Amino acid sequence: MDNLFYAMVFIIFLTGFWIMLRQSNLIKKIIGMNIMESAIFLFLVAIGYVKEGSAPIAIDANPGLAYVNPLPSALILTGIVVSVSVTAFALGLTVRLYQHYGTMDVDEITRMRSEEL
Amino acid sequence: MITAHIMPLTILLPLVGAYLILLVGSKYRLFARNAALAITGATFAMVCYITYLVSSHGKMSYYLGGWAPPLGIELRADPITAFLLLTFASVSFFVVLFAYDILPGEIKGKVVTRYYALYLVLLGSLLGIVLSNDFFNIYVFLEISSIAAAALVAVNGDKLAMEASIKYLVMSTLGSGTVLMGIAGLYMVTGYLNLDFLAGALPQAYANYPLTVSMTLGMLTVGIAVKAALFPLHVWLPDAHGSAPTSSSAILSGLVVKVYIAVLLKLLYRVFPLDFLAAMPLQGSLLVMATLGIFIGSIMAIRQRDIKKMLAYSTVAQIGYVFLGIGLFSEKAMVGAIYHVFSHAVMKSMLFLSAGLLIKYSGKRTIEDLSGLGRIYPIPMVAFSVGALSMVGIPPLAGFMSKWYLGWGALEANQLPFLLVLLVSSLLNGFYYLPIVIGGFFKPAAVAIKEEKIPLGAQISLLVLIAATFFFGLFSNIPVNFLTPTVQGIFNAFGGGI
Repeated sequence: MDNLFYAMVFIIFLTGFWIMLRQSNLIKKIIGMNIMESAIFLFLVAIGYVKEGSAPIAIDANPGLAYVNPLPSALILTGIVVSVSVTAFALGLTVRLYQHYGTMDVDEITRMRSEEL
Repeated sequence: MITAHIMPLTILLPLVGAYLILLVGSKYRLFARNAALAITGATFAMVCYITYLVSSHGKMSYYLGGWAPPLGIELRADPITAFLLLTFASVSFFVVLFAYDILPGEIKGKVVTRYYALYLVLLGSLLGIVLSNDFFNIYVFLEISSIAAAALVAVNGDKLAMEASIKYLVMSTLGSGTVLMGIAGLYMVTGYLNLDFLAGALPQAYANYPLTVSMTLGMLTVGIAVKAALFPLHVWLPDAHGSAPTSSSAILSGLVVKVYIAVLLKLLYRVFPLDFLAAMPLQGSLLVMATLGIFIGSIMAIRQRDIKKMLAYSTVAQIGYVFLGIGLFSEKAMVGAIYHVFSHAVMKSMLFLSAGLLIKYSGKRTIEDLSGLGRIYPIPMVAFSVGALSMVGIPPLAGFMSKWYLGWGALEANQLPFLLVLLVSSLLNGFYYLPIVIGGFFKPAAVAIKEEKIPLGAQISLLVLIAATFFFGLFSNIPVNFLTPTVQGIFNAFGGGI
């Protein structure tokens, strides 16, 4: 039962991966990208979890207290920043492509480009 | 003081320089290119100093903030990383020198400042990836490099480049997401992110969780292969490298795809135990993919009419050589792979830069239209020819020496078919490079050619790259002697290879 969480994370990861590869709409691709990255963050949260652990604040009075591993959470913060900036850049490019072609569909754009040549 | 902190300073210099350029450059137009030239030059000098320190004192470690690993982040320089750093810093310096007068004519005026800022961010992230000894740090720099690289493709705002850029961005995010999942897996089974501690803890972790560790290796390799454009994951590369501005193509094709190979080298030779790698289907699949990449990349390059697309497909084939060298798991082949990272960086940036000049002066991108240019513009055409001959593997050029070591490695690993692969692919390289060289010098001009003076910076940069191609072909023993002890150490640690 303990591994159920990891299995779910893997399913979410593959869902995002699949959306990124198979969807031709750029916005959907970007959503897929975010789903994939959320799966990774969930995975990191799951790694750091300690059963009945408390917040990782060192208290001298109670040294035996179990606490949640803080490192993965710190990694996720960095990961979220990275993911936000990639998303912003991808959305910016999508807007510019939409201005040029009037569509956000990659297949459509490829078709229009080959007709132009 | 500088000696003690040289490694973080080398990474920080281009990153801080990028912000400086954005701050000051918006007011003073000419500031950006001078500053970029000075900063890449200074970075090059610092990297030379790191190499000197490594060659005289052996490998160096630096703990960021004074925190020793596994708590803190470690930077590490050994001969292999020093050699890669030199490759990256030197080529990017000469690309900036080349672009000094060319770039303002190629991209829109106000974008030039931002272009240089992005370029320096990219350089900083490349150096950071090579120097980091901590997996999460490597991931952060990987993401910085993929955003900066995609932005360098799209910088001009034309629609072809933007389409290529978003494809590149999506594929490389896919790659780095997979890499991060792999890193998280490694952290889960060992509790470490530092490469040395990981290497120490992995055998035990493999005994406890064999499936997780194998999946982790698979995800890391696939993620890196997407970003390094190993066949069949190369689909994004030709468009991105073909439609970018000249200096972007040079640095993207010459350096950015190589840095992921540096990560793969760290992973395979420093983290995972070699007996574990031997038990995985990794070697076979790397070799098959590399061979297919070499052949299909070359065949696609032969079919191209657009010279930049042709050079981009040639990169797919050349990446195959590097993966071949890594996949052979032999000492000489690994030296050959690292040497090819360098020689391909020099050759391909030279080819892209000279092709950029020829396109600028003829106004055409198709191969037939470039004929006859050699008589009017000898320097770019000679540079193109030297690069092309070096790609084919004519002695005494640098490209010959890397193929020599790869072939020697194939013999050493008792894998004779791959020697044949090298020979046949050299022939294929000749098929698409030589017609351009012959046409450039011996055919009459196909289009009306503007006669202009080539800017001095571009001339110097191309001449230095030509000289480097000859020098490192004739005196390949200098870098090889520098690299060999470390490579030997890697293989001796595992009992002389597989």
